[in-house]
Amino acid sequence: MKKRLGIISLFVILFIAFVVVWNYSYETGKEEAYIPIENNNPTPVIPSETGVFKRSKYALDYANMPVDKNHERSLKTYYKNRAYHGAPPSIPHKVEDRNMGDNSCLKCHENGGFTAKFNAYTPVTPHPEMINCRQCHVPQNTQTLFKGTNFPKLKAPKVGINNALISSPPIIPHQIQMRENCLSCHAGPSAPKEIRVTHPERVNCRQCHVINNKETKDIGIFIKEIKNE
Amino acid sequence: MAIKSYLAHPYNGQKEKLQKELSIIPHCEVIPAANKDVLILVTDTNTRQEEDILKEKLETITSLKLLAMVSGFNTKNK
Amino acid sequence: MYNSVTNRRSFIKKMAILSAMTAAAAMFPGIVFAEEQERNLPKGSGNLEWKKAPCRFCGVGCGVLVGVENGKAIAVKGDPKSAVNKGLCCVKGYHSVMSMYGKDRLTKPLVKKNGRYVETSMKEALDLIASKMKETIKDYGKDAVSIYGSGQWTIPDGYVASKLFKGCIGTNNVEANARLCMASAVTGFLTSFGADEPMGCYEDIDHADVFVLWGNNMAEMHPVLFSRLLDNRLKRGVKIIDFATRTTRTSMAADKSILFLPQTDLAVANAICYEIIKNGWVNKSFVKKHCNFSKGLTNMGYGLEDKYKFKDKPEKISFEEYKTFLEDYSPEKVEKISGVSAKDIKYMAAYYGDPNKKVMSLWCMGMNQHSRGTWINNLVYNIHLLTGKISTPGNSPFSLTGQPSACGTVREVGTLTHKLPHGVVMNPKHREFAAKIWEVPVENIDPKPTYHTVEMFRALDRGDIRFMWIQVTNPMVTMPKLKRYRDGAKKEGRFIVVSDIYPTPTTDIADVILPSAMWVEREGMYGNSERRTQHFEQMVQPPGEAMSDTWQLVEVAKRMGFEKQFYYKEDTHIEEIYNEYRKHHVGKKHNMAPLAVLKEQSGAMWPYVDGKSTKWRFNAKYDPACSNGEEFHFYGKPDGKAVIWQRPYEPAAEEPDAAYPYWLNTGRVVEHWHTGSMTRRIPVLHKAMPHAYVELNPDDAKRLQIRTGDKVKLTTRRGEIVLPASVNERGVPAPMQVFVPFFDENMLINDITLDSFCPISKEPDYKKCAVQIEKV
Repeated sequence: MKKRLGIISLFVILFIAFVVVWNYSYETGKEEAYIPIENNNPTPVIPSETGVFKRSKYALDYANMPVDKNHERSLKTYYKNRAYHGAPPSIPHKVEDRNMGDNSCLKCHENGGFTAKFNAYTPVTPHPEMINCRQCHVPQNTQTLFKGTNFPKLKAPKVGINNALISSPPIIPHQIQMRENCLSCHAGPSAPKEIRVTHPERVNCRQCHVINNKETKDIGIFIKEIKNE
Repeated sequence: MAIKSYLAHPYNGQKEKLQKELSIIPHCEVIPAANKDVLILVTDTNTRQEEDILKEKLETITSLKLLAMVSGFNTKNK
Repeated sequence: MYNSVTNRRSFIKKMAILSAMTAAAAMFPGIVFAEEQERNLPKGSGNLEWKKAPCRFCGVGCGVLVGVENGKAIAVKGDPKSAVNKGLCCVKGYHSVMSMYGKDRLTKPLVKKNGRYVETSMKEALDLIASKMKETIKDYGKDAVSIYGSGQWTIPDGYVASKLFKGCIGTNNVEANARLCMASAVTGFLTSFGADEPMGCYEDIDHADVFVLWGNNMAEMHPVLFSRLLDNRLKRGVKIIDFATRTTRTSMAADKSILFLPQTDLAVANAICYEIIKNGWVNKSFVKKHCNFSKGLTNMGYGLEDKYKFKDKPEKISFEEYKTFLEDYSPEKVEKISGVSAKDIKYMAAYYGDPNKKVMSLWCMGMNQHSRGTWINNLVYNIHLLTGKISTPGNSPFSLTGQPSACGTVREVGTLTHKLPHGVVMNPKHREFAAKIWEVPVENIDPKPTYHTVEMFRALDRGDIRFMWIQVTNPMVTMPKLKRYRDGAKKEGRFIVVSDIYPTPTTDIADVILPSAMWVEREGMYGNSERRTQHFEQMVQPPGEAMSDTWQLVEVAKRMGFEKQFYYKEDTHIEEIYNEYRKHHVGKKHNMAPLAVLKEQSGAMWPYVDGKSTKWRFNAKYDPACSNGEEFHFYGKPDGKAVIWQRPYEPAAEEPDAAYPYWLNTGRVVEHWHTGSMTRRIPVLHKAMPHAYVELNPDDAKRLQIRTGDKVKLTTRRGEIVLPASVNERGVPAPMQVFVPFFDENMLINDITLDSFCPISKEPDYKKCAVQIEKV
């Protein structure tokens, strides 16, 4: 008798447990599927400051890279496919239409490298996060003009004259909006030879190189008069 | 043909002596550390024979405690 | 380096050298290969001669080589032989010599007569100063004269100032602007260890695995050291955690950026200790052998009222009591106060707690200019003491400084009201010791400290102080609640002497302006953050009648009748003064290196014992002053033990409310150093950063319809100021916070800051007060 009672109560407990578990899982199943959006990176991004460090993880590679003298770019060709200095460069090669930047242009222009077809190193974009490349960069499909132009081409800043003292680091003579990523143009085999940095491994470029053309006109020097009352 | 770099550790207090002794050997380039007792030695030889002679010469230096090779490159001489 | 490579073979050779250097760096952290660098430096033209000096600007104390040609300093390069910076400088350092050649350099003494400044001779000006001082002492007593110096004073400057005022005149009215910048670090060290200045050194950076930056925008303020962090990250993969109230260039470079609400670092530090204890990460044998637990008074106030006094009453407690106290600081509870997620607190605690990770904490003004500055310094030491991560290579709580000789001149020479070169004025033995070296009667030295900086300017306003001599600093830009102190200084019956190199807002309040010789225009020494004393020789002639601050003081002292104490000869006075100063620090705990050593090498770190610098203090392996036979000895305290302090979280003096809903934070930028009186005269730097601005959070800016460049009015209970806005540029403050740099004398943000200070250190909190903002 005792044994039978034991078995019955065991089954009763199991049954109750089943009902509870089933109910619980039914109730939780009714809850709306909701994945809380967790902001993993609450740190705001400062466009003018992040760029400096963007390619810094490759800095040592840049420092160790040999220079390929035969396939160097020069500032002359660098400025040649820009309407003025600071303008988006045009695309000097054939491109296919109907392609977004991330699955075509960036394949080569994100990290660069040698392209046998063009016998040159691919320039690296300073802003790979912007993938609608051809919003600003257009190919040159003809060499003729519709009508002539009187557009005065702005003179690009010269190299080698931007340091105040013989030993001091040159200032940044150009604006950096969308070109905050120094290493993309100033390091690696695609960098124009005149502006290739000798010490890419230093990373925090703007510790020594400051921008000096924030304002379009010269703001002069700072002095203070003795105040007589 | 072969370019090798070593870390050369001198016996106590003999860093300058070691630097002197190493720098007069042909095919050797020495870069001393400014604040630690260690020197970088780079050897650049053209043939196997040269390499062997150099090795013997290095072994005769008394101020050298330990010579540890860090990297070595060997290419066919064009 | 690589564009000099011409062929494949030399490239391979370069690779071989590089890999050997990398291997050497891994085996010997801190190694320097100077010759290799020197080979690549510019040679300059014929007569250029390179001479070594510490940099003029911040407390990092980079070694620089100044290029002198035909009597002019024309170039600067980093000194590859310096273990501080290994040949690298920042933009200020590279252009530092240009700060000597500004067009408006002061070259003649100016004396104010009927509201106009009249040129006079140096002799007459010094005569006038001496007679004014004597007259003031006669009429108002010796405590009516005062000197206010600076962490940019060279060691001899500060030493003769202290000797003249404390030893000869007999007043403790000696203060320095370092009170505004590292007094909390000092009291932090003294309360926790009983001995000032960091136990570690910069070489810790080459050993540590994790760096926690406590409210410290290192990428801009200590760029050369930050580059060393970045270099280690490239080569060894270290982690950099930026723990701050504002997003900056440092946050952009860091591996992780954690933001907290102003003042709540106190709570977070306690929460980290809570986690360390809860998870059993306490280094039990270290704590048992080397640590005590103490608590002090709480609800100390904020020093806002004149003649505010506070004295802490330390009381020993047990580990259990400390543990119970920490119950209020679980990460979950602290999350609510600080805005830092419990996850992030645990993340930081896990690094501190991991016995296999070496952790370096770095901080500067964020923790020092804090209304509980001493406490937060204590709390960070707690973390390192609980885990035993201290005084060993790579395990280092490291307090950075902002001025080239804040450590050397203010902390070591003791140019603060309560200090003597060795010890404090309150201690009769210390007074006797100093009086003997100074050759003055011991009664001359007053046993009672007088005014700390803020109180000194309040006393000037009240009329308790009638004469003030200000050297190498610009208090009329840097004092908090500036308007009160400027008006006070301009009152009738105050006589103010200002020694400087350019006209500044401080020379505007002067009765006599003395032209000073700066930096390498004279000989001197600086002491940097890592206890390194560095010497520089005179390299160029000062302009006009400009004279070193040391010699100005010596001349006045002689005129006041102290020829016996100021026996120094003009040609050799720096050497004589330094040798005399060294006598104060004799002994294994603080011995200074002889001058000959300083002249020969790029500085030496005290205690300099048996011809060797001490890199890690309190560690028997490195520090000859350890004498207890154990691995560590915190000999600053009588029982040889460091103190773990129970310090609670308390709110700031003035927190945002309905009328003033934003936090106002102030600070620096990479281009300018302090008040910009030197760096703004360097065209490259002025053009890069021409004026101050107010940084807003983009969300706040959007709501208020403010864009970069718009004029914004900031109003606090002290006044108002209009500044151009800066949105999403150099830094981004958290929502409901704004940031303004203080370098611009035409936009004096300190007119509206609050003069609350840490009751223990008396250092003002420039980082926190309540402000209202509106577009105008």
